[in-house]
Amino acid sequence: MNSLIWLHEDALRYDHPVFDKAGENSHTCYIWDADYLQSMDYGFKRLCFIYEAVCDLPVTIYSGNTVDVLGKLVSVKQATQLLVPTTPNPRLGSIITKLSEKMQVHTVEDIAFVKTKSNADIRRFFRYWNKTKKLAMQIDGKNA
Amino acid sequence: MTSDNNSGQSINRVKYKTQNMKILENQFENRLELVSYVSSLVNWLDDANPSPVIGNKQAAKDKLNAIEPKQYVRTRNFLDGKVTYLSPYIRHGMLTLNQVRNHALNKCESPEQIEKFIQELAWRDYWQRIYQSRPDYIWHDVEPYKTGYNATDYADDLPDDIARGETGVACIDQFIHTLLDTGYMHNHTRMYVAAYTVHWRRIKWQAGARWFLHHLLDADPASNNLSWQWVASTFSNKPYIFNLENVRKYAHDEINTGAADNQVLDASYETLTAQLFPNKTQ
Repeated sequence: MNSLIWLHEDALRYDHPVFDKAGENSHTCYIWDADYLQSMDYGFKRLCFIYEAVCDLPVTIYSGNTVDVLGKLVSVKQATQLLVPTTPNPRLGSIITKLSEKMQVHTVEDIAFVKTKSNADIRRFFRYWNKTKKLAMQIDGKNA
Repeated sequence: MTSDNNSGQSINRVKYKTQNMKILENQFENRLELVSYVSSLVNWLDDANPSPVIGNKQAAKDKLNAIEPKQYVRTRNFLDGKVTYLSPYIRHGMLTLNQVRNHALNKCESPEQIEKFIQELAWRDYWQRIYQSRPDYIWHDVEPYKTGYNATDYADDLPDDIARGETGVACIDQFIHTLLDTGYMHNHTRMYVAAYTVHWRRIKWQAGARWFLHHLLDADPASNNLSWQWVASTFSNKPYIFNLENVRKYAHDEINTGAADNQVLDASYETLTAQLFPNKTQ
Protein backbone atom coordinates (compact mmCIF):
# COMPACT_ATOMS: atom_id res chain seq x y z
CA MET A 1 0.00 0.00 0.00
CA ASN A 2 1.43 3.39 -1.00
CA SER A 3 1.05 5.91 1.77
CA LEU A 4 1.43 9.63 1.78
CA ILE A 5 2.44 11.09 5.15
CA TRP A 6 1.65 14.70 5.88
CA LEU A 7 3.81 16.02 8.71
CA HIS A 8 2.34 19.20 10.13
CA GLU A 9 3.66 21.66 12.70
CA ASP A 10 2.58 19.55 15.70
CA ALA A 11 4.72 16.53 14.77
CA LEU A 12 8.07 17.59 13.37
CA ARG A 13 10.07 14.44 13.95
CA TYR A 14 10.84 11.24 12.16
CA ASP A 15 9.99 8.64 14.79
CA HIS A 16 6.32 9.51 15.18
CA PRO A 17 4.10 6.37 15.15
CA VAL A 18 2.69 7.58 11.83
CA PHE A 19 5.79 6.12 10.16
CA ASP A 20 5.18 2.66 11.63
CA LYS A 21 1.67 2.80 10.24
CA ALA A 22 2.93 3.82 6.80
CA GLY A 23 5.20 0.90 6.10
CA GLU A 24 7.90 0.96 3.45
CA ASN A 25 6.19 2.47 0.41
CA SER A 26 5.59 5.96 1.62
CA HIS A 27 6.32 9.53 0.73
CA THR A 28 6.55 12.22 3.40
CA CYS A 29 5.78 15.87 2.91
CA TYR A 30 5.41 19.14 4.75
CA ILE A 31 3.23 21.87 3.25
CA TRP A 32 4.27 25.50 3.63
CA ASP A 33 0.75 26.92 3.44
CA ALA A 34 1.05 30.71 3.63
CA ASP A 35 -2.69 31.21 4.20
CA TYR A 36 -2.69 28.76 7.09
CA LEU A 37 0.46 30.27 8.62
CA GLN A 38 -0.97 33.77 8.37
CA SER A 39 -4.19 32.57 9.98
CA MET A 40 -2.11 31.33 12.93
CA ASP A 41 -0.50 34.79 13.16
CA TYR A 42 2.95 33.39 13.90
CA GLY A 43 5.84 35.83 14.04
CA PHE A 44 9.03 35.47 12.04
CA LYS A 45 10.95 33.76 14.85
CA ARG A 46 8.38 30.99 15.08
CA LEU A 47 8.16 30.54 11.31
CA CYS A 48 11.93 30.35 11.09
CA PHE A 49 12.04 27.80 13.91
CA ILE A 50 9.45 25.63 12.16
CA TYR A 51 11.22 25.87 8.81
CA GLU A 52 14.54 24.99 10.40
CA ALA A 53 12.94 21.94 12.03
CA VAL A 54 11.40 20.81 8.75
CA CYS A 55 14.69 21.16 6.89
CA ASP A 56 16.23 18.78 9.40
CA LEU A 57 13.78 16.06 8.34
CA PRO A 58 14.02 13.94 5.19
CA VAL A 59 10.79 15.32 3.79
CA THR A 60 9.90 17.33 0.72
CA ILE A 61 8.59 20.82 1.43
CA TYR A 62 5.80 21.93 -0.89
CA SER A 63 4.36 25.39 -1.08
CA GLY A 64 0.66 25.98 -1.56
CA ASN A 65 -2.81 25.34 -0.23
CA THR A 66 -2.62 22.20 1.90
CA VAL A 67 -5.77 20.54 0.57
CA ASP A 68 -4.84 21.24 -3.04
CA VAL A 69 -1.23 20.10 -2.72
CA LEU A 70 -2.10 16.91 -0.86
CA GLY A 71 -4.85 16.14 -3.39
CA LYS A 72 -2.33 16.40 -6.22
CA LEU A 73 0.33 14.46 -4.34
CA VAL A 74 -1.99 11.56 -3.63
CA SER A 75 -2.59 11.34 -7.35
CA VAL A 76 1.05 11.78 -8.42
CA LYS A 77 2.32 9.31 -5.82
CA GLN A 78 -0.58 6.93 -6.45
CA ALA A 79 -1.08 6.84 -2.71
CA THR A 80 -3.95 4.77 -1.41
CA GLN A 81 -4.03 6.48 1.96
CA LEU A 82 -3.02 9.74 3.60
CA LEU A 83 -1.58 9.42 7.10
CA VAL A 84 -1.60 12.38 9.46
CA PRO A 85 -0.37 12.70 13.06
CA THR A 86 -3.32 13.45 15.33
CA THR A 87 -3.63 17.09 16.38
CA PRO A 88 -6.07 18.99 18.60
CA ASN A 89 -5.61 22.11 16.44
CA PRO A 90 -9.09 22.88 15.01
CA ARG A 91 -7.65 24.63 11.93
CA LEU A 92 -5.65 21.54 11.03
CA GLY A 93 -8.70 19.45 11.98
CA SER A 94 -10.78 21.35 9.48
CA ILE A 95 -8.18 20.69 6.77
CA ILE A 96 -8.19 16.98 7.68
CA THR A 97 -11.99 16.92 7.40
CA LYS A 98 -11.82 18.47 3.92
CA LEU A 99 -9.19 15.94 2.89
CA SER A 100 -11.36 13.09 4.20
CA GLU A 101 -14.02 14.05 1.68
CA LYS A 102 -11.56 13.46 -1.15
CA MET A 103 -9.35 10.58 -0.02
CA GLN A 104 -8.80 7.90 2.59
CA VAL A 105 -7.29 9.66 5.61
CA HIS A 106 -6.04 8.04 8.81
CA THR A 107 -4.94 10.06 11.81
CA VAL A 108 -2.30 8.45 14.02
CA GLU A 109 -1.95 9.17 17.74
CA ASP A 110 1.43 10.11 19.19
CA ILE A 111 3.01 8.22 22.09
CA ALA A 112 0.93 9.03 25.19
CA PHE A 113 2.32 10.69 28.31
CA VAL A 114 0.11 8.49 30.47
CA LYS A 115 -1.90 5.55 29.26
CA THR A 116 -5.29 5.96 30.90
CA LYS A 117 -8.21 3.65 30.16
CA SER A 118 -10.81 6.39 30.33
CA ASN A 119 -10.81 10.16 30.13
CA ALA A 120 -9.39 11.66 33.28
CA ASP A 121 -11.30 14.38 35.13
CA ILE A 122 -10.03 17.61 33.58
CA ARG A 123 -12.19 20.21 35.32
CA ARG A 124 -9.14 21.38 37.30
CA PHE A 125 -5.52 20.37 36.92
CA PHE A 126 -5.16 18.76 40.34
CA ARG A 127 -8.15 16.50 39.77
CA TYR A 128 -6.41 15.25 36.62
CA TRP A 129 -3.03 15.04 38.40
CA ASN A 130 -4.38 13.10 41.37
CA LYS A 131 -5.83 10.52 38.97
CA THR A 132 -2.78 10.22 36.71
CA LYS A 133 0.17 10.88 39.03
CA LYS A 134 0.91 7.24 39.80
CA LEU A 135 1.33 6.36 36.13
CA ALA A 136 2.90 9.68 35.13
CA MET A 137 5.78 9.03 37.55
CA GLN A 138 6.73 5.80 35.80
CA ILE A 139 8.72 5.02 32.67
CA ASP A 140 6.42 5.19 29.62
CA GLY A 141 3.57 6.31 31.87
CA LYS A 142 2.40 2.82 32.63
CA ASN A 143 2.83 0.11 35.23
CA ALA A 144 5.99 -1.90 34.79
CA MET B 1 10.62 4.31 2.80
CA THR B 2 11.25 6.74 0.01
CA SER B 3 11.88 10.44 0.13
CA ASP B 4 12.42 13.18 -2.42
CA ASN B 5 15.21 14.57 -0.33
CA ASN B 6 17.85 12.82 -2.43
CA SER B 7 19.40 12.79 -5.86
CA GLY B 8 16.01 12.12 -7.45
CA GLN B 9 14.76 15.52 -6.43
CA SER B 10 15.56 17.26 -9.70
CA ILE B 11 13.59 14.63 -11.61
CA ASN B 12 10.69 15.06 -9.26
CA ARG B 13 10.85 18.83 -9.57
CA VAL B 14 10.17 18.55 -13.30
CA LYS B 15 7.39 16.08 -12.73
CA TYR B 16 5.73 18.22 -10.07
CA LYS B 17 6.00 21.34 -12.17
CA THR B 18 3.36 19.88 -14.46
CA GLN B 19 1.11 19.59 -11.41
CA ASN B 20 1.73 23.23 -10.42
CA MET B 21 3.30 22.22 -7.17
CA LYS B 22 6.18 24.31 -5.95
CA ILE B 23 8.94 22.60 -3.99
CA LEU B 24 10.83 24.74 -1.51
CA GLU B 25 14.52 24.58 -0.69
CA ASN B 26 15.59 22.50 2.29
CA GLN B 27 19.38 22.57 2.00
CA PHE B 28 21.32 25.63 3.12
CA GLU B 29 24.98 26.40 3.59
CA ASN B 30 24.35 28.02 6.95
CA ARG B 31 21.63 29.39 9.21
CA LEU B 32 21.92 32.89 7.78
CA GLU B 33 21.04 31.55 4.36
CA LEU B 34 18.07 29.67 5.75
CA VAL B 35 16.85 32.76 7.61
CA SER B 36 17.14 34.85 4.47
CA TYR B 37 15.19 32.23 2.49
CA VAL B 38 12.40 32.08 5.08
CA SER B 39 12.27 35.86 5.02
CA SER B 40 11.59 35.69 1.28
CA LEU B 41 8.63 33.36 1.96
CA VAL B 42 6.88 35.57 4.49
CA ASN B 43 6.26 38.86 2.75
CA TRP B 44 3.38 39.58 5.13
CA LEU B 45 5.82 40.14 8.02
CA ASP B 46 8.13 43.10 8.64
CA ASP B 47 10.39 41.35 11.12
CA ALA B 48 13.22 39.17 9.80
CA ASN B 49 15.21 38.47 12.97
CA PRO B 50 15.44 34.83 13.99
CA SER B 51 15.42 33.58 17.54
CA PRO B 52 18.74 32.43 19.00
CA VAL B 53 16.90 29.16 19.72
CA ILE B 54 17.86 26.66 17.02
CA GLY B 55 15.07 24.55 15.54
CA ASN B 56 16.72 21.26 14.73
CA LYS B 57 16.96 17.74 16.10
CA GLN B 58 20.50 18.13 17.43
CA ALA B 59 19.56 21.25 19.37
CA ALA B 60 16.59 19.41 20.87
CA LYS B 61 18.81 16.49 21.78
CA ASP B 62 21.44 18.76 23.35
CA LYS B 63 18.81 20.52 25.44
CA LEU B 64 17.36 17.19 26.55
CA ASN B 65 20.78 15.86 27.56
CA ALA B 66 21.43 19.04 29.54
CA ILE B 67 18.36 18.84 31.77
CA GLU B 68 18.92 18.68 35.52
CA PRO B 69 15.57 17.56 36.91
CA LYS B 70 16.54 17.60 40.57
CA GLN B 71 17.94 21.13 40.30
CA TYR B 72 14.85 22.11 38.30
CA VAL B 73 12.66 21.11 41.23
CA ARG B 74 14.58 23.42 43.57
CA THR B 75 15.21 26.38 41.32
CA ARG B 76 12.56 26.50 38.55
CA ASN B 77 10.85 29.66 39.87
CA PHE B 78 14.07 31.67 39.81
CA LEU B 79 14.68 33.52 36.57
CA ASP B 80 18.18 32.06 36.39
CA GLY B 81 17.06 28.64 37.66
CA LYS B 82 17.75 25.34 35.95
CA VAL B 83 14.82 25.40 33.56
CA THR B 84 15.07 23.12 30.54
CA TYR B 85 14.25 25.32 27.50
CA LEU B 86 12.62 22.21 25.99
CA SER B 87 9.22 23.81 25.44
CA PRO B 88 9.64 24.86 21.77
CA TYR B 89 10.71 21.31 20.89
CA ILE B 90 7.84 19.74 22.80
CA ARG B 91 5.38 22.21 21.29
CA HIS B 92 6.30 21.19 17.76
CA GLY B 93 6.45 17.47 18.42
CA MET B 94 10.23 17.28 18.08
CA LEU B 95 10.32 15.72 21.56
CA THR B 96 7.49 13.88 23.30
CA LEU B 97 6.48 14.32 26.93
CA ASN B 98 7.09 10.58 27.31
CA GLN B 99 10.66 10.92 26.04
CA VAL B 100 11.41 13.84 28.37
CA ARG B 101 9.85 12.13 31.40
CA ASN B 102 11.75 8.90 30.76
CA HIS B 103 15.00 10.79 30.31
CA ALA B 104 14.41 12.67 33.58
CA LEU B 105 13.57 9.48 35.47
CA ASN B 106 16.86 8.00 34.32
CA LYS B 107 18.67 10.97 35.86
CA CYS B 108 17.37 10.46 39.39
CA GLU B 109 17.40 7.79 42.05
CA SER B 110 13.65 7.83 42.69
CA PRO B 111 10.65 9.38 40.87
CA GLU B 112 9.62 11.28 44.01
CA GLN B 113 12.78 13.42 43.73
CA ILE B 114 11.50 14.94 40.51
CA GLU B 115 7.75 15.00 41.07
CA LYS B 116 7.53 18.74 40.35
CA PHE B 117 9.42 18.26 37.08
CA ILE B 118 7.01 15.55 35.95
CA GLN B 119 4.07 17.60 37.16
CA GLU B 120 5.10 20.44 34.84
CA LEU B 121 5.08 17.97 31.93
CA ALA B 122 1.67 16.86 33.11
CA TRP B 123 0.42 20.45 32.84
CA ARG B 124 1.18 20.31 29.11
CA ASP B 125 -0.65 16.98 28.81
CA TYR B 126 -3.57 18.44 30.76
CA TRP B 127 -3.86 21.50 28.49
CA GLN B 128 -3.73 19.30 25.40
CA ARG B 129 -6.54 17.11 26.74
CA ILE B 130 -8.69 20.20 27.25
CA TYR B 131 -7.83 21.43 23.75
CA GLN B 132 -8.99 18.09 22.37
CA SER B 133 -12.19 17.78 24.37
CA ARG B 134 -13.21 21.44 24.86
CA PRO B 135 -11.82 23.54 22.00
CA ASP B 136 -14.45 26.14 22.88
CA TYR B 137 -12.46 26.92 26.04
CA ILE B 138 -9.51 28.24 24.07
CA TRP B 139 -10.79 31.71 23.17
CA HIS B 140 -13.80 32.08 25.47
CA ASP B 141 -13.94 32.75 29.20
CA VAL B 142 -14.32 29.33 30.80
CA GLU B 143 -15.82 31.02 33.88
CA PRO B 144 -16.57 34.65 34.88
CA TYR B 145 -13.70 36.81 36.16
CA LYS B 146 -13.39 36.62 39.95
CA THR B 147 -12.01 40.13 40.21
CA GLY B 148 -15.17 42.10 40.91
CA TYR B 149 -15.26 43.14 37.26
CA ASN B 150 -17.23 41.82 34.30
CA ALA B 151 -15.55 40.83 31.03
CA THR B 152 -16.95 44.01 29.47
CA ASP B 153 -14.91 46.08 31.93
CA TYR B 154 -11.70 44.90 30.23
CA ALA B 155 -10.31 46.52 27.05
CA ASP B 156 -10.27 44.46 23.84
CA ASP B 157 -6.90 45.53 22.48
CA LEU B 158 -3.36 45.39 23.74
CA PRO B 159 -1.98 48.92 24.22
CA ASP B 160 1.08 49.80 22.12
CA ASP B 161 3.23 50.52 25.16
CA ILE B 162 2.81 46.94 26.34
CA ALA B 163 3.35 45.53 22.83
CA ARG B 164 6.61 47.47 22.54
CA GLY B 165 7.83 46.99 26.11
CA GLU B 166 7.50 50.69 26.95
CA THR B 167 5.17 50.57 29.93
CA GLY B 168 7.50 52.49 32.21
CA VAL B 169 7.51 49.60 34.69
CA ALA B 170 11.16 48.63 34.43
CA CYS B 171 11.07 44.90 35.14
CA ILE B 172 7.96 44.36 33.02
CA ASP B 173 9.61 46.14 30.10
CA GLN B 174 12.71 43.97 30.48
CA PHE B 175 10.59 40.80 30.42
CA ILE B 176 8.75 42.02 27.31
CA HIS B 177 12.02 42.81 25.54
CA THR B 178 13.22 39.28 26.19
CA LEU B 179 10.04 38.05 24.52
CA LEU B 180 10.46 40.33 21.51
CA ASP B 181 14.19 39.62 21.13
CA THR B 182 14.26 35.86 21.66
CA GLY B 183 10.76 34.42 21.28
CA TYR B 184 11.19 32.85 24.71
CA MET B 185 10.28 33.81 28.28
CA HIS B 186 10.79 32.13 31.63
CA ASN B 187 7.43 30.86 32.89
CA HIS B 188 7.51 33.14 35.91
CA THR B 189 7.98 36.24 33.75
CA ARG B 190 5.05 35.12 31.56
CA MET B 191 2.89 35.12 34.68
CA TYR B 192 4.18 38.56 35.75
CA VAL B 193 3.54 40.10 32.32
CA ALA B 194 0.13 38.42 32.00
CA ALA B 195 -0.94 39.59 35.46
CA TYR B 196 0.31 43.12 34.78
CA THR B 197 -1.59 43.22 31.48
CA VAL B 198 -4.89 41.83 32.76
CA HIS B 199 -5.03 43.18 36.32
CA TRP B 200 -2.97 46.37 36.38
CA ARG B 201 -4.04 47.54 32.91
CA ARG B 202 -7.44 45.79 32.76
CA ILE B 203 -6.96 44.32 29.29
CA LYS B 204 -8.87 41.22 28.20
CA TRP B 205 -6.72 38.09 28.53
CA GLN B 206 -7.48 37.26 24.90
CA ALA B 207 -5.50 40.30 23.72
CA GLY B 208 -2.47 39.21 25.71
CA ALA B 209 -2.81 35.58 24.66
CA ARG B 210 -2.89 36.59 20.98
CA TRP B 211 0.24 38.68 21.50
CA PHE B 212 2.14 35.81 23.17
CA LEU B 213 1.02 33.38 20.46
CA HIS B 214 2.55 35.66 17.87
CA HIS B 215 5.92 35.95 19.56
CA LEU B 216 6.61 32.82 21.62
CA LEU B 217 8.25 29.89 19.86
CA ASP B 218 6.55 27.44 22.18
CA ALA B 219 3.10 28.94 22.53
CA ASP B 220 0.18 26.80 21.54
CA PRO B 221 -3.40 27.87 21.97
CA ALA B 222 -4.06 25.42 24.78
CA SER B 223 -1.08 25.98 27.12
CA ASN B 224 -0.88 29.68 26.33
CA ASN B 225 -4.53 30.71 26.42
CA LEU B 226 -5.55 28.56 29.36
CA SER B 227 -2.57 29.86 31.34
CA TRP B 228 -3.70 33.41 30.58
CA GLN B 229 -7.17 32.37 31.79
CA TRP B 230 -5.60 30.96 34.94
CA VAL B 231 -3.94 34.32 35.63
CA ALA B 232 -7.10 36.25 34.73
CA SER B 233 -9.23 34.02 37.02
CA THR B 234 -11.56 32.85 34.25
CA PHE B 235 -10.10 29.35 34.68
CA SER B 236 -9.04 29.47 38.33
CA ASN B 237 -10.54 30.33 41.67
CA LYS B 238 -8.85 33.71 42.10
CA PRO B 239 -6.80 36.21 40.08
CA TYR B 240 -3.03 35.76 40.11
CA ILE B 241 -1.12 38.86 41.17
CA PHE B 242 2.42 39.51 42.35
CA ASN B 243 4.36 42.38 43.86
CA LEU B 244 7.84 43.84 43.58
CA GLU B 245 9.05 41.87 46.59
CA ASN B 246 8.15 38.67 44.76
CA VAL B 247 10.03 39.77 41.63
CA ARG B 248 13.07 40.64 43.77
CA LYS B 249 12.98 37.19 45.34
CA TYR B 250 13.14 35.39 42.00
CA ALA B 251 14.96 37.83 39.71
CA HIS B 252 18.69 37.96 39.01
CA ASP B 253 20.99 40.97 39.07
CA GLU B 254 20.26 42.07 35.50
CA ILE B 255 16.61 42.77 36.28
CA ASN B 256 15.88 46.29 37.46
CA THR B 257 13.82 45.85 40.61
CA GLY B 258 14.34 49.35 41.94
CA ALA B 259 11.31 50.75 43.73
CA ALA B 260 11.41 54.05 41.86
CA ASP B 261 11.35 52.27 38.51
CA ASN B 262 8.55 49.83 39.43
CA GLN B 263 6.27 51.96 41.56
CA VAL B 264 2.96 50.31 40.65
CA LEU B 265 4.27 46.94 41.83
CA ASP B 266 5.79 48.17 45.08
CA ALA B 267 3.10 47.38 47.65
CA SER B 268 1.86 44.59 49.88
CA TYR B 269 -0.56 42.00 48.52
CA GLU B 270 -3.31 43.45 50.71
CA THR B 271 -2.80 46.94 49.30
CA LEU B 272 -2.56 45.70 45.71
CA THR B 273 -5.68 43.57 46.09
CA ALA B 274 -7.61 46.58 47.38
CA GLN B 275 -6.27 48.79 44.56
CA LEU B 276 -6.71 46.34 41.70
CA PHE B 277 -9.98 44.71 42.77
CA PRO B 278 -11.96 47.33 44.74
CA ASN B 279 -15.26 45.66 43.89
CA LYS B 280 -14.17 42.16 44.83
CA THR B 281 -16.30 40.85 47.68
CA GLN B 282 -14.05 38.08 48.97
